[in-house]
Amino acid sequence: MNVRVIPRLDIKGPNLVKGIHLEGLRVLGKPERFARLYYEEGADELLYMDVVASLYQRNSLLEIVTRTSREIFIPLTVGGGLRTLDDIHAVLRAGADKVSLNTAAILRPELVREASRRFGSSTIVVSIEAIRKPDGRYEAYTDNGRERTGVDPFNWAIRVTELGAGEIIVTSIDREGTGNGFDLELTRKIAESVPIPVIACGGAGKVADVYEVVTQGKGDAVCLASMLHYNFVKHYDNADDFSEEGNVEYLRTRRGFSKIQDATLPEIKEYLLRHGIAVRLVEEAINA
Amino acid sequence: MPETPWPQRFQVAIVDYGIGNLFSVKHACEQAGIHASITHSCSEILQASAVILPGVGAFGDAMEILGKLDLVSVLRDIAASGKPLVGICLGMQLLMTESHEFGWHRGLGIIEGEVVRLEEAVHGDRVLKVPHVGWNRIATGNATAVQADSCVGWKGSLLEGLSEGEYMYFVHSFYPKPVDANVVLSITRHGPVDFCSSLREGNIFGCQFHPERSGSQGLRVYQNLAFLIQKTQEGDRNVRTAGGKV
Amino acid sequence: MSERLEAKYNLPKEVIFCKRCVMSNQRPTSSIEFKHTAHHKHKTLQIDKEGVCDACRVAEQKEQIDWDQREEQLRRLLDKYRRKDGSYDCIVPGSGGKDSCFAAHILKYKYGMHPLTVTWPPAIYTDIGWRNFRNWIEVCGVDNIAYKPNGRVHRLLTRLAFENLLHPFQPFILGQKNLAPKIAMKFGVPLVFYGENEAEYGNPIADTSTSLRDRSYFTTQSLGDIHIGGVPISELVDRYKLSLNDIQSYLPADYKEFEQTDIEVRYLGYYIKWTPQEAYYYAVEHAGFEANPVRTEGTYSKYNSIDDRIDGFHYYTAFIKFGLGRASHDASQEIRNRHLTREEGVALVHRFDGEFPGQYFREVLQYMEISEERFWELIDKRRSPHLWMKEDGSWKLRRQVL
Repeated sequence: MNVRVIPRLDIKGPNLVKGIHLEGLRVLGKPERFARLYYEEGADELLYMDVVASLYQRNSLLEIVTRTSREIFIPLTVGGGLRTLDDIHAVLRAGADKVSLNTAAILRPELVREASRRFGSSTIVVSIEAIRKPDGRYEAYTDNGRERTGVDPFNWAIRVTELGAGEIIVTSIDREGTGNGFDLELTRKIAESVPIPVIACGGAGKVADVYEVVTQGKGDAVCLASMLHYNFVKHYDNADDFSEEGNVEYLRTRRGFSKIQDATLPEIKEYLLRHGIAVRLVEEAINA
Repeated sequence: MPETPWPQRFQVAIVDYGIGNLFSVKHACEQAGIHASITHSCSEILQASAVILPGVGAFGDAMEILGKLDLVSVLRDIAASGKPLVGICLGMQLLMTESHEFGWHRGLGIIEGEVVRLEEAVHGDRVLKVPHVGWNRIATGNATAVQADSCVGWKGSLLEGLSEGEYMYFVHSFYPKPVDANVVLSITRHGPVDFCSSLREGNIFGCQFHPERSGSQGLRVYQNLAFLIQKTQEGDRNVRTAGGKV
Repeated sequence: MSERLEAKYNLPKEVIFCKRCVMSNQRPTSSIEFKHTAHHKHKTLQIDKEGVCDACRVAEQKEQIDWDQREEQLRRLLDKYRRKDGSYDCIVPGSGGKDSCFAAHILKYKYGMHPLTVTWPPAIYTDIGWRNFRNWIEVCGVDNIAYKPNGRVHRLLTRLAFENLLHPFQPFILGQKNLAPKIAMKFGVPLVFYGENEAEYGNPIADTSTSLRDRSYFTTQSLGDIHIGGVPISELVDRYKLSLNDIQSYLPADYKEFEQTDIEVRYLGYYIKWTPQEAYYYAVEHAGFEANPVRTEGTYSKYNSIDDRIDGFHYYTAFIKFGLGRASHDASQEIRNRHLTREEGVALVHRFDGEFPGQYFREVLQYMEISEERFWELIDKRRSPHLWMKEDGSWKLRRQVL
């Protein structure tokens, strides 16, 4: 079974953004351009997260989802602020293949059951964002990493599986954006306790980290953001107009981020392959 | 034979029974130059040049809805008509006689066979989980059929032009077991099991994977469908012309 | 309606919000803290005819500035002051937060200066604040003098400031603002660099035309003027039995003494475009700075002002007095720097402003030696009727930003 490598695009309004611990959101460019490059370079799926959606209580990605699904023919998962079955339906109609639920699911777990019955289990992905506390225990957070819940992520993972979730994305908020590597313990414990696929997210700083989270972390798939986005920014000209919103000071300088050893999708996949992890390679990308 | 320009509209009906990634299928059709409409209208479906039955979710629920929409006999009629009928993922499973998902359910009975559960497997030190989600390879399963880099066995089917071992995107927990082995078009490995990942019987084609989400190789399937429809229509026209000649 | 409601502290009777950021005209501009008494009449943020506040106008101007030219000016200034004999040539006050990391690092490693960092530590360190402070010295790599005042005196003054002014942070602010120039005088270092000019937050615009910090902020001509915790020095001595030595760390430098030196106190923000988020990323990359993975109470931010357990109360008391909490400040700053749209800022303010900083409540009460009832009594006494009303037994702001 091939390990999937899934770029995660955090979207705020018209921009792709990236932060550390889901905060300090720098504008890195227009999401469509990143999506297209990743598709061409062999991304196995794409994940779009609307990072202000739970703040506004609405998901605003419908247009970009429609545009993406017209041109990019790999599975697209969309999350951020999806609260009702209607919200989910709207996003699927726009062309998404799967939806990611976090805040709404923790507030009302029955939503997972209802959604998986109506749309199919495989369409419903539950996102668990957790922080490792000083005493070594973990706690799940909602609202894009802002609100405590008191919920134990391991129990929650088992519960959502029972409710019908098709997959789980696990994000370590304290690792996210730091480049310090994935939280292997968090990923492994969840992966070993549920029979559904688990996607690891948050913390990749170098290619070896990706290998680690698959082998030691038992991740069935890997979600990457900083490593890929910073590579894109370094090599591509972002001449688009950014006057609308967002901190664009960084983009004007066109440098990477030294905490992250950025890489391309082909580089990451080739590394995995060389170390014995089965992945899908895309011919054109290798020969490019 | 002179080049026939493609007709303005060849209507492909994508059956809308409330579930499934209808819009991805439509976008893929459009990319292949096919004019497709998402519909559950019996008359529109019967008039279409080809029908696509997509689907995601539970077999039993899907059959119930198809029944309520009066589409069961319509689909059987399409199957009998010789027009291309394409089942994708759950859509393909529905073509079968019966399924064992959440109990026992009767299917459309267009292809003889049953739908059974994929089991979790261990591969080395990795657990292959169910649902089977991700990219996997399709193979002919028939050593003699492989020549050069293109499968002779797939010629004339919707998989024409694809290479042995091409990657397609899967997301499912069940798979079809057709009674007639000749109906199996491709197989895919999941742990110890080589399951049927696509099948074909005459004008009926089914794939467990999602060609509309399988990148450019998946789009090839839609392009092949477009070509097939064109050929079928030309065939019809030639018959009519021939019939009309004095 | 509003004429009948009393407005404390000389605040404008009508609450008006800026059209661009989420600040209101209730925001006090920086006071000269050592003249701050209970009857202090605050000067507040000006909102012009177009509904735009001074701070947003400054931000507007920031976009027009030729930063290359300003950098040239900085280089010339630094060339004048750079020392080659091994001694310090500039002082950078700070605590290892993102801004002081940025300032110290860039002066030392980009511009080749020899800074001495100077820290007036928080009353009670948070774990992450302490780590960041250490990383500043160890990872960023700077010399540092940390000056701690007598703990008992500091506690007393904090309590007095809370009781008399509902401003528990005042002693900290006093010490912090006054320390660097005094250290400069003692060590003979001719240049002190603060970060952003307070004008970026809404002090009168005139201040931005120069990089020099107004001397009245850190020197005084007469001791008689001085109040700490709202209490005049004479009373601190007579009633609270403090000696002049006990309080000298809170006192500003003597004006005449300062005049005789040629020390210059300047804002680095005049020469370098200060983008808070970029300062954060810079500090992460070069100084080992860590934000909190959890957000700070009262706001959405994870990296602003996270080193003092009393921080939350500083913002909370401001929320009580002026109706503007931590989220309002963070959001306004980010809106001006285009990290947020106003719409997002408003949503964040509604969600987080005024959230009670419960995490360290017990500790801070203990620190100030105040009971919980007394705490709430003092809080409620300070709510201005023109801002607050009681509805169903709980306090509500009359007007919130829209």
